[in-house]
Order: sequence, then structure tokens, then C-alpha cells
Amino acid sequence: MRQLTKAVLFSSAILFSSALGGTASMSSAWAQEAIVVFGSNDVGAPTYNPIKASILNTATSLIYDRLVEQDADHSFHPHLATSWETTPDGMEWTFKLRQGVKFHNGEPFNAKTIEAWIPLFKGTDNEYLVGGIDQVVVVDDYTVKFKMKHPDANLLFNLASVFMGVPEPKAYQTLGDKFGITEAIGTGPYKLESFTVGQETVLARNDDYTWGSDLSVNKGPAKIEKLTFREIAEESTAFLELKTGGVDMLLSVPTEFIPELQKEKSIAVNSMPGLDVMYMPINVTSAPFTDIKVREAAALAINQKEILSSIYKGVGLEAHNFLISSLQESKVDPKYDISYDPEKAKKLLEEAGWKAGGDGVRVKDGQPLKVKLWTQSDSEFKRVTEAVQAQLKAIGMQADITTFDSSTIRDQYKKNEHQLAVRSYSWGNADILDWFFNGERLGYPNISMFKDPKADELDNKALTQSRSWDERVANFKTYHEYILSQFPFAPIYQPMQNTAYNKDRLTLPQKIRGTQIGTETFLDMAAAD
Amino acid sequence: MLSFAVRRLVMLVPVFLAVSMIIFLIIHLIPGDPIDNLIRTGSTPEQKAILTAKYGLDRSLVEQYVIWLKKLLNGDLGEAIILRRPVSSLITQNLPYSLALGGLALLFSTVVGIVTGSLAAIYKDSALDRGVMALILLGSTVPSFWLGLLMILVFSVQLGWFPVSGARNWHSLVLPVLTVGLGGTALVARVTRVAMVDVAQKDFVTLLHAKGLAPLRIQLRHVLRHALLPVITILGLRIGWILGGAVTVEIVFARPGLGTLLIKSLNQRDYPVVQGCLLMLAIAVMLGTFLGDLIQAAVDPRVRGNLK
Repeated sequence: MRQLTKAVLFSSAILFSSALGGTASMSSAWAQEAIVVFGSNDVGAPTYNPIKASILNTATSLIYDRLVEQDADHSFHPHLATSWETTPDGMEWTFKLRQGVKFHNGEPFNAKTIEAWIPLFKGTDNEYLVGGIDQVVVVDDYTVKFKMKHPDANLLFNLASVFMGVPEPKAYQTLGDKFGITEAIGTGPYKLESFTVGQETVLARNDDYTWGSDLSVNKGPAKIEKLTFREIAEESTAFLELKTGGVDMLLSVPTEFIPELQKEKSIAVNSMPGLDVMYMPINVTSAPFTDIKVREAAALAINQKEILSSIYKGVGLEAHNFLISSLQESKVDPKYDISYDPEKAKKLLEEAGWKAGGDGVRVKDGQPLKVKLWTQSDSEFKRVTEAVQAQLKAIGMQADITTFDSSTIRDQYKKNEHQLAVRSYSWGNADILDWFFNGERLGYPNISMFKDPKADELDNKALTQSRSWDERVANFKTYHEYILSQFPFAPIYQPMQNTAYNKDRLTLPQKIRGTQIGTETFLDMAAAD
Repeated sequence: MLSFAVRRLVMLVPVFLAVSMIIFLIIHLIPGDPIDNLIRTGSTPEQKAILTAKYGLDRSLVEQYVIWLKKLLNGDLGEAIILRRPVSSLITQNLPYSLALGGLALLFSTVVGIVTGSLAAIYKDSALDRGVMALILLGSTVPSFWLGLLMILVFSVQLGWFPVSGARNWHSLVLPVLTVGLGGTALVARVTRVAMVDVAQKDFVTLLHAKGLAPLRIQLRHVLRHALLPVITILGLRIGWILGGAVTVEIVFARPGLGTLLIKSLNQRDYPVVQGCLLMLAIAVMLGTFLGDLIQAAVDPRVRGNLK
């Protein structure tokens, strides 16, 4: 409600001010500096310590380089590691390291760095990233070998994550808890100059940088000398800052703001596929959803196309399974994809014994088909939830909406009183299936309360027994297809990652490389003429 | 006077204990769990249990409260769970911003409120009075969130006089101070006006008029002085509000401050930070009331007498 009121107030304030007429021209001298506003997911990241953090913002990827980079199509590319190979059993990985790389404090980057870095994960929340590595062997100055405890087909994905940006191990040890808070030493194209949590991060260019990956055109020092990242929690305020020239770039823009931004001549909007999926979990332990036919009917009632066009004005993608479309594991056999089919949904309800009632709500044994539909208090969720409610009504299912704030709703799920919900996740790997559907995590994150021995077996196989990336893809695809066949959720929508920038001040590469805006984009970014 | 101050201070101790307990209970009893916000996708239930134990969240509420209170009495506000810093350093980082905004807003609303309130009272029932009171009604009913956005749209977007947001220089303080201050102005002006109108009907004022003093002199030297007593009480209560009253305004203007810190931490259930912030606000309210009492006692001997 609060969010909705805010939206109404915001638009009324805009109307009021346009009545006053005229647009002020803001002029500010262009220096070799860019002011960037973090996306809402980045706000409040407490540290630049990649080993110990649970959230890291975009600036982190500019301070630290990774051994491996991942492109938008999820393919892996060399960076601090120039090449790698693995044995057929997946029990040994050998990495050749780039020569001539230096940390911000002058220390050299070499095999000894890796040997000192990997063990630092021990005992941290991120230990699982290197959980498969038994031992790091220094072969020569620029070659390391990982001896594995068990095969980890996901190793490259982990190495490409921002959490495996390589810090300078000596400074890491010396600074202790202060590392990442007062200082952060990596090999990246920018150095941390200052950091005030919740407020501002200032980065200065690393002039010695010559080791950009092949995802950026520019391999040398970045073109912009200084980057100031600001944290603005209120999206309307960030929008107005961009509009008035107070900032040069917004790393994330809500889809609803795009039409307003497109009216501005000086502003360019870039949309690329995101990592988010919006879906409707179905509690399989709560009647009537204990009946798979009722679950399937509810899933088939969701009109993805209508939600995309009416709520998101066509920006984004329809979701037809649980994973983002850019992942190979999302390319399941089309018969498993879940798509809008109201006729089949009605037929399934008939078969399950739910007959048409007087007021449009189906009835079985004198009981009306009434269910609970939970959602979060953000305005976007509320609007999608209302659309879902109307679509369920169309097949004769009455859904009553309850709204919670995001922290409360997780506790509520653990009570197992929920039936349907509208929510979203953000993750670029198929192992998210394990997170939301593994039988060990019922309540939250397994909101569907889905506990199925066959599913858990397929999950386990994909997660721990895949020896290579391809094998892992195939295993996860099988697991994904099985989950889809059981209808513990209904897919809804995949949002885009929208960024907006002032094109009078900045030029950005035509095509954004990498899974998100990061090192590659900032290396190629330049001041506009 | 000194013994009066000491007695009032001692009375604050049980209040402080009660407040600390209420703050602790409220934040722990609302649903939600900081560890859920801390764990990463893919972590195991064992890791979650380890973290829960690390922050002592597996103990009973009574135990947790006693531990927190013990630390608190030693001046230690604890360590933030999500933000991973001492709570005291987070508060010291944000407090100056809140003090600057709240202090200036209070000053603004006091001065402007008393001036407009007096004007309205002196020219009671005139067009000026009605105009001022109508503006005040508007000022106290417009939500500060909307007022803030409107200020930005007019003064930053249209006129380009002030920055949209941030806290880089004094320029960026103007709009937030006006936004917060206008709400307070309404209250002060209304209380001033009512009190002055009330005092103006007292016998001693009639006497002053009978003595032939200039009406304006009577209003300013005698009526206003008496009428300020309730205004001081209100201002005393508003000191606590200096720190906590600007939450939405801080967020609209993307300003750092206790309000922003509190809301962010509340959303993530970062218990130690929420407790620290609320305690700061409670202390500010208590000290504000205490200060208001002192000033009132200093100005009005009757108050001192009543408490003996």
C-alpha cells in the first residue's frame, strides 16, 4: 500500500511541476569523472571483502579481477588465467596464469598468490565456492594445479563470480577485519579510494592496468579517471538526479520508469537480459494443491503474454520454466514448458471434481475453490499479483491476496500456512533448482514444500556427480524437466536489466558483454565529446 | 534548581531500562530473521545454524536481552549482523547528518513558527490570520515524502538552484531542512497562536491595556512571553524528533542519517543496529523532555514549586 501511494504521489508531483512549465538547463563542467548510481540490489553492500561478503556491489568487480570471466551467453573466457584444462575424471584442474600482472600495492600476481588465496575461504560463508578443492599445487611461477576432493563441474562458474575476485593475500592477512572496509587491494582497473557504507564509494583509475580480458575492446587502463558510485535507495530520486545531470548513469532502472526516461533527449536506456525470474510457487502439501491436476490447472491459468504486455509494456521476456532463458538448462523439451492454456486448465479442474459454481467460483463437495495468494509489499509485485488473481478467477479459482514485507514473508513461509505466492529470484546458474526445490529446505527457500525422492536423486546427481560442464548441463536439464512435470510452481516473467546513462557525457559499448554491467563495460566506457 | 535537575535525571533511569526492554522485545518479536538475509544462495542449513549461534540468536530472549544490556551498560552497542561493523561506528557516522538536518529544521520551525503564530494572534481574525492558518493547515497535512519530491521538482529540476540529493555541501541541506521544517512550523505556529490568544484574555493583560501601554508592546513583551511556555514544552518534545522525524525525508533526498540507517536495518532485521538506533532516539526524546522541563523551570518559578 505504502509503495502504491508513493507511486501515485510521485506521478502527481511530476504533473504538478510540469504545470509550472519550463525545464532548467543544467550545465556542469565535464571532467574525467563519472558519477554512477548503484542498482537497488547493490545498495547497502557492507564490504569490499569478496571472501567474507554475502553481498557485493558492482564496484567490487572493478577492484578485483577474476581468473575466468563469463559472457552474457554464459560461456567462459580467460582473464587472470590464460588457459585451463581438466582431467577426464574432473579430479585435477590446471590453470596457466597471466604474466606481468601487479596488485594495486605493487605485489606481483603469480602462482603463489593462488596458493595463498584459496585457503583464505576456509571457515567463511563462501567456503562452498572452493569446497571441491583439496589442495593447490604450485607447478611453476605461472601454473597452478587444483587437486580436487570430488569433481566440481561448476568450478569455472564459481571462479568467474565476483566473490572470487582475487585479493592481495598479504594485505588481506595484515589488514584483517579492515580489509574491504578501509582498504581493498586487487589487480582490477580501479583502486578503492574511499568507501562510506550506505553512501558513497570512490574509485581511482589503475594506470598500470594492461590486462583486460577479451570481453572488452580496451585492454589497457580505463578511459575515465575517477568513478564515484552513489547509493540512492529511492528510485524516483535517482531518476531525477539523472534527469538533471546530477549523476551520469543509473545501473538499474525499474521498467516502469523507461517511458519517462525515453522522453529525455540526453538519456540513453540499455536493456539486456537479466538474471531474475518471477514465478508463483505452489504449496504441494496444501489441499487442493495436493492434487497435481489442480496444480497444473493453476499453472496453466497464468497468462505470461498478457502480464508482459499490460504490466511491463513488452519490456522483458515471458517465463515458461524456472530458469533464465540464457542458461542452457532452460532449453528443456518443449512439452515440459508451462504456457497459458485456460481450456486445458478448466478441463483439469473438471476432472479433479471441481465443478462450475454459481458465482464463477468452482465447487467440490460443497466447498468453494478458494485459495490464499501471498505477495510482497513492493508495487510491482502487487500489480503482478492482482493480474494473477484475475487470471485464476477466469478458471474458477478465487485467490485472496495477503501482502507482507520481504523479511516477514520468509518467516511466514516456514509456518506452512501458504498456498500460492508471487515472488522472484535472481541467479545465473541452474543450481538455483536445488536451492528452491531440494527436500531439505522446506518452508524457505523451498516454498513449494516440494519433497520428492526422485527429484532429490536427480538433484544430487546433477549437483555432486557431474564430472564436466556438459554433463552438469544435461543432468540439471533432466532434473529441471522432472520438476516441471510435477507443477510445484508456475513461471511468470523474466525482467530485463535496464541501465540508463547521459549520452552527452558518456559513451558505452554497443553490446554489453558479461552477465551484468561490470569490468568489461567500465573499461570501454568513455567520456562523450 | 540543581536538585530539581538531579531529581529529574534520576527519574530517567527506570524509564531508560523500561524503554530498552521494550525496544528489544519489539524488534525480536516481529517476524523475520537477520540470518535469512545474510546467507547466500546455495549455503547449507548447517552454515545457517553456525551463523545463528555466532550471533547468539539461538539463545533464549531473556539471555539475549541480559547479554545486550550488560554490554550496553559498558558502553558497547554490539556488532551489526548484516553491516558487519560496530554499531557505535555506524551511529557516529550517521549522527552528524541527522543532527544537522534535524537541528536546522527545528531552528527553522521555531523561528518561523513563533513569528507567524504571533502575527496570526496579533491580527486575529484578519485576512492575514486566515491566510497563515490555511498555509499551516496545508503544511501539517501534506506528507513530507510528497513535499520533498515537489521541492526537488521545483527547486532542483525546474529552477536548478539546489542539488536533487546527497549530502556533499550546505546546498544539499536547504531542501531537506525546508521539507522537515515546514511540518514543524505548522505545529509551533498553531500552539503560539492559541496560547497568545488565550493569554490576551487574561486579567493582567486587560490591566496593561488600562495602564495605557502600546498594544504591540503588550503583545510582544507580555503576552508572547507567557504564551511561550507551552511552545517550550512542544519544542522539548521535538528534540527527540530531531533525530527520528526525518526518516522519509532522508530517503527521498538520499541523505545519510539515523533514519536511513534505521529503516534499512529494520528491513533486514539487523537487530543490533535497530536497537542502537532506537535507543539513540529514545535517549534524545528523554533528554529533550528533560531539557524542556529545565528551561520551563528556569522561565517559570511555578513549575519548580510544583515539583517540590
